[in-house]
Amino acid sequence: MIVTLHLIVLALYGLATALVLAPFMGFRAAPRALAIAVPCAGAAVHVVAISQLTLVGLGPALSMLALCLVLLQLASERLLRGSAVSFVAAPLATVLVGLSILSGLAPAAEAAAARNLWFVLHVALSVLGLALMALAFIAAALYLLQFRELKARRFGQVFQLFPPLERLDQLNRFALVAGFPALTLGVLLALGYGAEFSGGLHVAKAQVVWGIFTWVVLGWTVWVRVVRHWAGRRAALASIAGFGAVLLVYVALKLTQPGAERFL
Amino acid sequence: MGGGEGIKVVGVNHRTAPLDVRERFAHGAHEVPRALARVMAAGATGGVLLSTCNRTEFYLVADDEPALDAVWSLLGERLPVAAVGGAREYGYIARDRDAVRHLYRVSSGLDSMILGESQIQGQVREAWEASRAQAGPVLHRLFQTALHVGSRVRTETGLGMGTASAASAGVAVAGKIFGDLAGRSALILGAGDMAELAATCLNDEGVQITLVANRTPERARAIAERLGARAVSLDEAWSHFATTDIAICSTAAPHAVVTWERVGGVIGGGARRGRPLCILDLAVPRDVDPSLAQLENVFLYDVDDLQTVAAHATARRRDEIPAAERIVEEETDLFWAWYGGLGVVPTIKELRQRMDDLRAHELERALRQLGHLSPEDRARVEQFSEALLNKFLHHPTVALKTAAEAGRGYGLLEAVRRLFGMEPPA
Repeated sequence: MIVTLHLIVLALYGLATALVLAPFMGFRAAPRALAIAVPCAGAAVHVVAISQLTLVGLGPALSMLALCLVLLQLASERLLRGSAVSFVAAPLATVLVGLSILSGLAPAAEAAAARNLWFVLHVALSVLGLALMALAFIAAALYLLQFRELKARRFGQVFQLFPPLERLDQLNRFALVAGFPALTLGVLLALGYGAEFSGGLHVAKAQVVWGIFTWVVLGWTVWVRVVRHWAGRRAALASIAGFGAVLLVYVALKLTQPGAERFL
Repeated sequence: MGGGEGIKVVGVNHRTAPLDVRERFAHGAHEVPRALARVMAAGATGGVLLSTCNRTEFYLVADDEPALDAVWSLLGERLPVAAVGGAREYGYIARDRDAVRHLYRVSSGLDSMILGESQIQGQVREAWEASRAQAGPVLHRLFQTALHVGSRVRTETGLGMGTASAASAGVAVAGKIFGDLAGRSALILGAGDMAELAATCLNDEGVQITLVANRTPERARAIAERLGARAVSLDEAWSHFATTDIAICSTAAPHAVVTWERVGGVIGGGARRGRPLCILDLAVPRDVDPSLAQLENVFLYDVDDLQTVAAHATARRRDEIPAAERIVEEETDLFWAWYGGLGVVPTIKELRQRMDDLRAHELERALRQLGHLSPEDRARVEQFSEALLNKFLHHPTVALKTAAEAGRGYGLLEAVRRLFGMEPPA
């Protein structure tokens, strides 16, 4: 049942991706109502699927990350008054759901932990923090593309379809500022859960390294934006560098620590 | 169809008359009631005057003559005495269904100089509102539906997408940098028409025009007054590049006046803190040294760039014409069906009732005087009166129905109501 629901989600997110990318392939843009309705339907089915999941293991975490991303994408439509975030978020969410199905959606270990509120909140907030970081990355990437087109005086599809620089900058700032407390709380809840229910911290070293690294990187990007008042292109580059570093470290650790199953 | 009362549009537009003629024919809001009163006095029963920089059109419910003559004479008086052919030379007339279709095409931007521009929708609304007292029920309905058609075309097709003039392209480009333009500041260098037009477009979006700098202070003052800005000399303007969001440059200088030496330090310095600056260089030859675009926070666009933006939009809009024309045709059919059948059925019913009451009244009076008649004969007389009434009413009824089917019922109804002393339709 869980896999079937995820396959439906995959199909709907795939369709949403095709709809938003259609103008870049020379097709007519889909009506806005349809471009919003399809990912909404996907997210609705996704919520049902997640509610039946045990939130332990790579597959469920990826699935949850995809859902957070789609919900943030839909929320950002209001801020940007357009569907630009979906150009990246829709295919990314589709890939994440596909990977979650391939990784297996059954819990790998410690299924009992999934019934603990501390643990559930830890997973939810950490994934939300990561999704907001991904959203900041998407806004930054769109910013740099639009910036390049505007400086080069090219007025094609990117100029027409992408949102204004200022709004992308605002979205990037919002995602970073909201993502940092979410991730911080997620990390603190993990520490609390370990101390309170697991008799101390018994987690893989890779998970600790990556968790702290991600927190530090996100903290740095928030610091340069809020304290050093970085904005525009410099802030976008910082976001992209930060998110890229987090991904690279994850892949490196995943390759060097293949046994860490709970490790997102 | 030619004569008889019906819907007419008579006027001139950007395709039939050059700018200097259109300027003469343009009517300010305060002139509309008097102009319409004159045409109404010539026999029109309804009138709306639509006057923009691209068209002056009288929409009338009228006979061909003499209301149309009144329009030509009214417009002709605004021409120089030397103009031989009069206003007719520049104008056109569309009648009935063509007139309806014409207004629908106008309100949807299909007939605009800049295809699909949306300003016309507001101008149609203003014209309708300014002429409410004289419009009459048919033109009320026509203008109401014209606004609906304009909205439908803009919602259901891409005819209004993008921007299609250099001035509005400047607004679009600035919008792609700043998002909401409300509250942004702009300065103008030069006092040409193009700069003023672009500034007006930005002003409409909520941009505050702070400065107008020009070599001739009088002209700068005149524009500054209109835009609520301050007039300064060119030399005073350079320091303001540190704070402004948008700069519109349109001087008549034969070489670049906005140079690296004058503003490079101001824009690249700490005062701006990296805030973007959008420079719209509308002058030919260009006013702005192109090397300024190398500064990271400077977005510099010249006339060619803005025309490229406009051309992109126009090309895309052209693809939407068939879809827009389909909507216009569909809505014209709907209006024509309404107009054709307007009040015909209730009028025929009322006419028959009125005639039957008369017949019954007169029959009763006659039968009182013919008391010797047998009941069979009385019945025969009554049948005779009914048959006679049916014969009398047959032709008017058929004529009304035929006129309704041809979309000309309204004019004939007016005549019937007047001839038979019936109340005018609500």
